[in-house]
Amino acid sequence: MTIHLSIILWLPLAFGLVALVAPGRLARWISLLGALLVLAYTITLLADYDHAAGGLQYVTDVLWIRSLGIHYALAVSGLNLVLLATTSVVFTASAIWSLVAQPDGLRPGLYALLMGLAQSAVLGAFMAQDLALFVIFFDLMLVPFYFLIVIWGGPDRTSAVLRLFLYTLVGSLLMLVGAITTGVLAAHDGEPSFLLADLAKTPLGSSAQGWIFLGFALAFLIKMPAFPFHGWMPGGYSNMPIAVLAVFTAILSKVAAYGFLQIALPLFPDAAVRYQELIMIVAVASILYGSAMAFTVTSARLILGYSSIAQLGFIVLGIFAFDNRGADGALLQATNHAIVAGALIFVVAMLAARSGGSEEITDMGGIAKGAPAFAAVFLVLSFALLAMPGTANFIAEFMILLGTFESKLVYALIASIGVALAAFYALRLYVTSMHHRVGAKVKSFELTGREALVIVPLLLIVIALAIFPQFSLSPAEDGTSQALRATQQAQSAQTLAAARADRGTR
Amino acid sequence: MSLPLSAWLVLAFPLAGTLTIALLGKKLSPRAAGTIGTAAIGIAFIFAVITLVKLQQLPVDQRVVTSSLADLINVAGLKVQLGIYVDPLSTFMILIVAGVSTLIHLYSAGYMQTDQGYVRYFAYLNFFVFSMLLLVLAGNLVLLIVGWAFVGAASYMLISYWYRRDTAAAAGIKAFVINVIGDISLVLGTLFIFKTMGVVDYTQLFAGVHSAFAKDEPELVIGMLLILVGAFAKSAQIPFHTWLPDAMEGPTPVSALIHAATMVTAGVYLIGRLHTLFEWAPTAAAVGAIVGALTLLIAGSIGLVMTDLKRVIAYSTMSQIGYMIMGVSAAAYVGGFFHLMTHAFFKALLFMAAGSIISAMAGNQSLNNMSGFRKAMPFTFACFLAGGFALSAFPLFSGFFSKDTLLFEVGARGGWYMALYVAGYIGAAFTVLYTWRMIFRAFWGKPCEQATVLEQTGHSFHYPEHTNPHTGNEDDPSTQEVEDTEVGFPGAVHKIAEQTWQMRAAMIPLAVLAVIAGVVQLPFGLTNVLSDFLQPTFADTIVAYHPKNPGLETFGLILSSVIVFVFLTAAYIVWVRRPGSSSAIQARLQPLHTLFANKWYFDDLNSALIVRPVVWIGRWAKDSFERIVVYGAFIGGTSGLVKAGSAAVRAIQNGLLRSYVAVVVGGLSVVLLYFLVRGL
Amino acid sequence: MTINWYLIVSAMIFTIGAGGVLIRRNPLVILLCLELMLNAGNLALIGFSRMWGNGDGQIFALVVLVVAACEVAIGLGIIVALYRRRLPVDVDELIELRG
Repeated sequence: MTIHLSIILWLPLAFGLVALVAPGRLARWISLLGALLVLAYTITLLADYDHAAGGLQYVTDVLWIRSLGIHYALAVSGLNLVLLATTSVVFTASAIWSLVAQPDGLRPGLYALLMGLAQSAVLGAFMAQDLALFVIFFDLMLVPFYFLIVIWGGPDRTSAVLRLFLYTLVGSLLMLVGAITTGVLAAHDGEPSFLLADLAKTPLGSSAQGWIFLGFALAFLIKMPAFPFHGWMPGGYSNMPIAVLAVFTAILSKVAAYGFLQIALPLFPDAAVRYQELIMIVAVASILYGSAMAFTVTSARLILGYSSIAQLGFIVLGIFAFDNRGADGALLQATNHAIVAGALIFVVAMLAARSGGSEEITDMGGIAKGAPAFAAVFLVLSFALLAMPGTANFIAEFMILLGTFESKLVYALIASIGVALAAFYALRLYVTSMHHRVGAKVKSFELTGREALVIVPLLLIVIALAIFPQFSLSPAEDGTSQALRATQQAQSAQTLAAARADRGTR
Repeated sequence: MSLPLSAWLVLAFPLAGTLTIALLGKKLSPRAAGTIGTAAIGIAFIFAVITLVKLQQLPVDQRVVTSSLADLINVAGLKVQLGIYVDPLSTFMILIVAGVSTLIHLYSAGYMQTDQGYVRYFAYLNFFVFSMLLLVLAGNLVLLIVGWAFVGAASYMLISYWYRRDTAAAAGIKAFVINVIGDISLVLGTLFIFKTMGVVDYTQLFAGVHSAFAKDEPELVIGMLLILVGAFAKSAQIPFHTWLPDAMEGPTPVSALIHAATMVTAGVYLIGRLHTLFEWAPTAAAVGAIVGALTLLIAGSIGLVMTDLKRVIAYSTMSQIGYMIMGVSAAAYVGGFFHLMTHAFFKALLFMAAGSIISAMAGNQSLNNMSGFRKAMPFTFACFLAGGFALSAFPLFSGFFSKDTLLFEVGARGGWYMALYVAGYIGAAFTVLYTWRMIFRAFWGKPCEQATVLEQTGHSFHYPEHTNPHTGNEDDPSTQEVEDTEVGFPGAVHKIAEQTWQMRAAMIPLAVLAVIAGVVQLPFGLTNVLSDFLQPTFADTIVAYHPKNPGLETFGLILSSVIVFVFLTAAYIVWVRRPGSSSAIQARLQPLHTLFANKWYFDDLNSALIVRPVVWIGRWAKDSFERIVVYGAFIGGTSGLVKAGSAAVRAIQNGLLRSYVAVVVGGLSVVLLYFLVRGL
Repeated sequence: MTINWYLIVSAMIFTIGAGGVLIRRNPLVILLCLELMLNAGNLALIGFSRMWGNGDGQIFALVVLVVAACEVAIGLGIIVALYRRRLPVDVDELIELRG
């Protein structure tokens, strides 16, 4: 069986369009069918991908805009293989949720279309092998979310969406300018090419790399979000519909992390080495700040939001250790956190359903009574969030710390404080909502069949990843070693130069 | 059956028990859950015995068997296997863990019969035992950390078992967070060692450490110190011990499990397991020994003044674990693990007996309210006495031999170790005092109301309302918070050993063992069962293994006996013959009493140094930083810029048609003028 | 006769028209002044057309006439609608579209 990436890429959008014209309730079913088909297709991809060979596979490469050298180039590699599957899983869960939990939502057709567009854009950003194409898909991701928030969002959606837009637009513009400059500067004899492979062959001069790298880094850090660029997060998270938020927090942040590995490190290795410490400081600050906020705020959503900041901090730390183990751990963490965070967002909705609609943990309490299965699910997910040894998150953080340990000991030591804080905020969320005396508005009930339909598959994936982390680690090994090669060379070259200069002065 | 298979089955049965009980949940009758849970651990114990037999059949120098199911991680030079490591030490541990746990399960099946959450309880309990067995059998440091953390998680679940109690929920979090700090420290220590050696597997670690590091190299010492912190957190050594007394929030059998078989002994096992590395980093080992000695003194002193029966036993555990940590850190391996074994027996027994008394007191745990249970509860009394004699190291009881072996081995090293030796004997005096204070106050004297009711009616006493003994004044239930009994708690019927066969069946073997277990390792080489058995594990020790020094040994035995007799008599005088003299002593030593009663202020210290600053930072981040910098500077700055720009544009759009025209005409004129001027 | 005079007249009419648009407030008068400006343009177009002896300018002028007719039709329609709704017929008070 041959696999065409274009089919995977456009399938969600196609089903979204069909759902748009389909009548009322059918739209959600069509949307779900589309998500399931993409899921099936990515699973086939997982099975079919040649792990032994590694590298780019199923390459689609068509010259799209000749005069600009922009290619419609898609491929699957060890870097994005598992992330593609993760994306499909989370979108499927979201589609199931919107089918079973919001059956009477507004304009289901339009909703399905926008979700389809979002999925296509995310898949495109993951698979793009052309810088311009990546930038297009990266920016395209924002469009459906704008409408999803504006139409279906919470009470404060206008200012939330404005903030989200302003922030990400700044990043996107810088990235766009950086991408264009890269293409122009790297052009051969006036023949520009935006293919990543071509760009990586002719690295830019060190000074040009510097500010372009910073532009890209800023765009990615805003998208994650990382401290201190997270100003859009509280408003944005509070006002998204649950099914949208699950996708947003699970997947979009990972696109940004993936961008570092796929774009920033291979194309701008010298700059990456130069700004390594800066980005690591941002990562560690995100870990500490996110954790500190997560055990201070009282909204269950925001606890998860700030915990995401901390977790993404770990991912960035792992990537910028420039160590294969760190990057492998970061990719594992990206997959694991996507599933865990997505599942926990649904758990927040389930908590709210049991506490009179409030998502404030101060209104909850005693929900475990009468809901042992729900409590067990929530507890396992909380453990997965706090990097309990035995979960994939632990293995990921172990490897991230290991990678960081080898290169930057101090950062690893400081970051490990974040692990302790994670235990505290994750348990605080669990204990205040599930334990203690029953809250005034709380009416607890057992996990319903519909809820189980969404949460149990995600839980099983979390457990499977915990037992078999190699599933993500083994393809990642090939991908990250490719992604890090340029940077590692630049690093050793700079070390060598520094050593030589040192000897010269002596 | 091969040896690895039987060892794997030791792990498999508790896990299967956990999953069966958890997945069947409410479909199981409480009786079935108890049976499945007990049977799972019991079968694990049988396989542990089979493992022991198989291991003993191997030649002495081949008594290390490893087995791996699959690779957990195998990437970029990091290889971690899902493997086990079976040698005399781990076999010794699984025998104790599985054996004592089986009895505790059996006891629980009786004790918790009327609790609402009975099924959930056994799922947790089985998971706890599984975690501990995993920790013990793990074949590498990463898997050890997994088991280590599972133990922490299971203890959290069981401590918070009565989750509607605010105090129980808080105690659970405290235990978990301190344990996580230990886990992280353990992880960092592992990373330090991995950084140099590149392996996490025990076999490779033990074989390679001498060539990878110089003796006492700073890198290794830091790594081992971090690992020690992990051991301290799990084994409740100062300053990481504050969770242990609070852990008394859990049901009493859980306390027995935490204190006797699982959890707190993990630190001792870890040091013994990694003795090759610790011996190569003597500085770290010395720190471990000193902390153990300090803990045994401080905990013993606190135990003297606590009035909550369970807390006295809890501090006694801390103190005894202090002995073991001191012992194994000072290379007193036989003594350390001997004491671990006897302590598991008599401490489990003491907790079970205490549980029986607390039931008879209808949940009230204060020693101030207990007295005269001697006649009302003869069986419990007998068991408590057996445990008490063993704990206080009364001659010929098991604790006597184990504690003396431990202290003798420490003392035999001479030098500064003699200070530890002395500390151990001072601690022994404390032990005698707090043990017999507890026994004399609970069983002697004029029977209290509860004891009278039990003695006369044959039914245990009930308060009209169930209250939380950890709130209000512990002596006066009317000041305490009324319990939310819907969720559980030993319900209307309190189970005592005299009336529940499961509890008796669990306590009898332990009582026998507490009395006679000393025979496995008698002084002067009379019996050497234990030291011969453990010898293969410690074959690579660079310190003398179980040294011989009959003079010191004799001196120790005599000193120990004298201490027991003198302080037992003193306790008898103070608490039985002249009741009231204890308050006179307390009045005379008021500052000391205050210090002990406030637990040497460790809780306050933790709160001031760690908890409060962290909370403060969090609050500062939320209230100030997030508001001023993130919202003010970033969001305010960006949106301010946009707002200013849009205000300028908006000013032109005034809706006045004629001003629009004027702008157009003006603009056009300027353009025309430009061309005119340029044309000229 | 040179083209200058045509252009001067055209410029004068245009200026008068533009001045009227700027200073008058009645939309009807503004519409008339606009018409003046358009016709000034036409005059110039035809003048140039004659100068070059080429019909293009006249065609342009015809197009402008058509546009002017359309514009007047719409403009008058709007003014009538304003009357109907009893709104003030004064451009300075019709500022609903202010930003």
